[in-house]
Amino acid sequence: MHRNTKLAVSVLMATSMIALAGCSAADAGSDSKTLKIVYEKTDSFTALDTLFKKIKPEFEAAHKGVTVNLQPIQANDDDYSTKLALSQQSADTAPDVFYEDTFRLRSDIDAGYLLNLDGHLDGWADWSKFNEGAKGAGMGDDGSTYAVPLGTDTRGIWYSKPVFTKAGIAVPWQPETWADILTAARKIQATQPGVVPFNMYAGKGTGEGTVMQSFYELLYGTGDSLYNENDQKWVVGSKGFKDSLTFLDTLYSEKLAVDPSDALDPNVWKKVFGELFPKGQLGGTVEGSYTPSFWQKGGSYEWPAYVTDMGVAAFPTQNGDAPHGVSMSGGWTLAVGAKTKNADLAFEFLSLALNKENSLWYDINNSQIAVRTDVAADPTYLAANPFVAAVTDLVSVTHYRPATSDYPKISAEVQAATEAVITRQMSVDEASAAYDKAVEAIVGADKVTK
Amino acid sequence: MSVATLAASVASPRKATAAALSNGILIVIALCFLLPLAWLILASLDPDASYRTQIPANPSFANYAAVLTPGLTFLPLWNSLLLSGGAAVATVVAAVLAAYPLSRYTMRFNKPFMYAILFGTCLPITAIMVPVYSLFVRLNLIDSMPATIFFMAATSLPMAIWMTKNFMDSVPISLEEAAWVDGASAMTALRRVVVPLMRPGLGVVFIFVFIQAWGNFFVPFVLLLSPSKQPAAVSIYSFFGQYGAIAYGQLAAFSVLYSVPVILLYALVSRGMGASFTLSGAIKG
Amino acid sequence: MKPEQIAPTRGPNPGDPEPVGSGSPGRPESTEGGSRRRGPLGTRARTAARLLPLLPAVLLLLVFLAGPVAWSFYGSFTNAALTGREARNPQWVGLDNYITLFQDPVFPLALWLTVVFVVASAIIGQNFLGLGIALLMNRANRVVGSLVGLTVVAAWVLPEIVAAFVAYAYFSKDGTLNQVLSAFGMTGPNWLFSLPMLAIILANVWRGTAFSMMVYRAALNDVPIEITEAAMIDGAGGTKRLVLITIPMIKSSITTNLMLITLQTLSVFTLIWVMTAGGPGNQSTTLPVMAFQEAFRFSDIGYGTAIATVMLLIGAAFSVVYIRALRPGKG
Repeated sequence: MHRNTKLAVSVLMATSMIALAGCSAADAGSDSKTLKIVYEKTDSFTALDTLFKKIKPEFEAAHKGVTVNLQPIQANDDDYSTKLALSQQSADTAPDVFYEDTFRLRSDIDAGYLLNLDGHLDGWADWSKFNEGAKGAGMGDDGSTYAVPLGTDTRGIWYSKPVFTKAGIAVPWQPETWADILTAARKIQATQPGVVPFNMYAGKGTGEGTVMQSFYELLYGTGDSLYNENDQKWVVGSKGFKDSLTFLDTLYSEKLAVDPSDALDPNVWKKVFGELFPKGQLGGTVEGSYTPSFWQKGGSYEWPAYVTDMGVAAFPTQNGDAPHGVSMSGGWTLAVGAKTKNADLAFEFLSLALNKENSLWYDINNSQIAVRTDVAADPTYLAANPFVAAVTDLVSVTHYRPATSDYPKISAEVQAATEAVITRQMSVDEASAAYDKAVEAIVGADKVTK
Repeated sequence: MSVATLAASVASPRKATAAALSNGILIVIALCFLLPLAWLILASLDPDASYRTQIPANPSFANYAAVLTPGLTFLPLWNSLLLSGGAAVATVVAAVLAAYPLSRYTMRFNKPFMYAILFGTCLPITAIMVPVYSLFVRLNLIDSMPATIFFMAATSLPMAIWMTKNFMDSVPISLEEAAWVDGASAMTALRRVVVPLMRPGLGVVFIFVFIQAWGNFFVPFVLLLSPSKQPAAVSIYSFFGQYGAIAYGQLAAFSVLYSVPVILLYALVSRGMGASFTLSGAIKG
Repeated sequence: MKPEQIAPTRGPNPGDPEPVGSGSPGRPESTEGGSRRRGPLGTRARTAARLLPLLPAVLLLLVFLAGPVAWSFYGSFTNAALTGREARNPQWVGLDNYITLFQDPVFPLALWLTVVFVVASAIIGQNFLGLGIALLMNRANRVVGSLVGLTVVAAWVLPEIVAAFVAYAYFSKDGTLNQVLSAFGMTGPNWLFSLPMLAIILANVWRGTAFSMMVYRAALNDVPIEITEAAMIDGAGGTKRLVLITIPMIKSSITTNLMLITLQTLSVFTLIWVMTAGGPGNQSTTLPVMAFQEAFRFSDIGYGTAIATVMLLIGAAFSVVYIRALRPGKG
């Protein structure tokens, strides 16, 4: 009995150990010649996937024995960043090159996920073609550069000219104050039942979209801000914060925006682009400069008439004060994983993806504002997008999110505050107080300012 | 069923009314339970499906054809099969080995062990997913199929040991004694005599673990990262996230394809031995 | 051999799981190889040899169940995170996570919603509906009975993610439920938004009732007919028979069932995550959802682990009560 039992047990244990060890060993062995590229791919965002698929054979031909392993993660921005962060935890799963939102950069640099690219950039002639803003976007607190932007964006009001005309509003339209927006929206509501007059995102469902394409346009137009860059403290208890929430509350309670239950749907923006605007069921909304990418030829919701039907306006400040407009900028970057075993190869892949030809293709197909000066001056780039001048103008009034590693958590709290208000779970004062308390809990009492 | 037979055979007017009333209530309940499922089936056959339940205007298998691609369906289903099959095999082997000494020898150790097992069956697995994730990171096991399989096996092991031991208790020991007289060792007796006799019971345990693992979403969602390793539960979730608001019919078709294997397995168990058999084996001592 | 021959349904009562192994009848001490006499050393060696087959199971349980539980306690005292400085160097922070947790306004809400969810969907919904169906099945037509059994079990056998989508579709604004209501001239609310808790509770009743139903069917089948017959002859009415005879006879099955469904419901995550993701606001954020959000959405692994630890303690408390209730000699 003893022998048999022992045999059985040891066989079982050995099998399990081999199986457990085998996996990681195998991965480690093959990794030396494989570049793992992790990025986001959705039904409405395929440009990067197309680009990578195009350059993969090119890269593999130039580097014999190297396999480019493309790993598109099919998820929305939130799920993507969760999955990316989960994969960063161990060397076996961490990517060699990955697609990263600028607002998570600082936090992930602190976590040690990104490779310092200073040495590599010095030897890359193209780096001088990137504008100063782009260079700053990939920089860590230590002044080193960790990521290279694919492009940037601005945000403004996109409105439907037919809907506005029908409501008796002259186009082109440029609101000077928040009140102008409400006036126009109420006119649309009065003349066109069934049309959503003016939508602005709110709630946790749309995630970063809620703050970037809605709340911050309001907040940064009040004279207040989220973060005081000078003394590096988070602003709490500001009047602007409450006024911004109040504006959203007005939009939603007067039914000028979509129904709150639709607003909480993470896919509401697909409805905005794919359904409401093309069908003339939406007056206006705040959206990014990448908007035409959905409608242009080859986009997810092809709609040729957008060229004539849509208009762009700057989002106004609260009371029409200077600089008479508010925009937010973000953008995505490519970075090299700190745990990569092939840093040089990874950087070569990154630089191939971001060379002039590929940047131009990507900026056109994803409606990005070019960050390479040579692309920005390229005639095909300027001709491809009828709104390129309008959205590029917004750069002069644009703001960036606080580049601190606490930012993602604070952003989640802002989103929660907007959700509490539009669902009427809290009053504006209560939601604002809850936000103040949450911020203090995240960063500590010494890092907040009134 | 004996009580029901009795109720049917005693034919008094009052009984008949009671039976009719029971039938009526049960039919209403059945309809309530069926209604949500009706949507799934109808939508999967309807190329123009929405969240409304409607008879398809142009019924077709277009939705099925659309989702039956290697990347969308076959690979995830294959991964599900690997995960569930692996977990079920590992669980049954470990459970049989463990149940043998627990069933055959009286040891001081038995009682606390069975208590610990019982305690294990009660653990909310959802609660340990966050620590399991951290632990997997430390052990470098994230995104490893075998490790995920063993984790799933471990989570169903307490219940499996409990069931297997009960099944084994009912195998008469006299048969093994005969084998021992012939000079066979305990392990040989287990393999040659006990396991064949309790094959149906082990089948139940296997299918039980398999069904649980097949339907599990949270564990692979957290522990597996590569798109190529995702089982159907996870790929169906990302499909929903992306196309949930558009391709209702395809989502339904995918769901049906993914559910059919476990429904068939369940039918197999319950046809063979009666539904309550499965459970009574599971929860009674 | 026919399965019935080995089925343990022969036992006296389905809800009487005396922790077996310890002195089950017909298990004489040492039946191995004609029980030769051995010295103490031999006994120890023999015991060790006998325990050896337990090793794979014990190993699996230690590594993958006990390990994470221990880790859960440890991790909840650190500020481990998915991003930021703490991801690189997690620090020991003592009770900080628990202090934050008990001051977090979401925590009491999540705890309360968890209790509501468990009590309403499991203890009241699944349990009573399951018992009711089992009782009705004993009176009803056989075909109707098995048909009902089939539909109820179907919801239970479906993979949880599919069940969750089906429930999502059913309760959505344009879903089947509102369609049915409008057929009766009523305008249904947007369930997932206006009444998220009710929607997930009903969904969980739909999904989980099969379990209770099967437990009670098995239990009722084991109630000897003679007893009910005798009561009928004595003229006891249906309700009286149920309360005085049937319920006491299946008491231990009820305990078992209640405990199992309580613990299962405590850890329901997928259903809620798919249907409402804990929203709107935090109106359907139960503890598992909160733990997931904190750990994986807000990258705060340490904090999420602290919530998980609280859930483990709640589960452990239930388990202890359960095991005590099933002690040999009781029930």
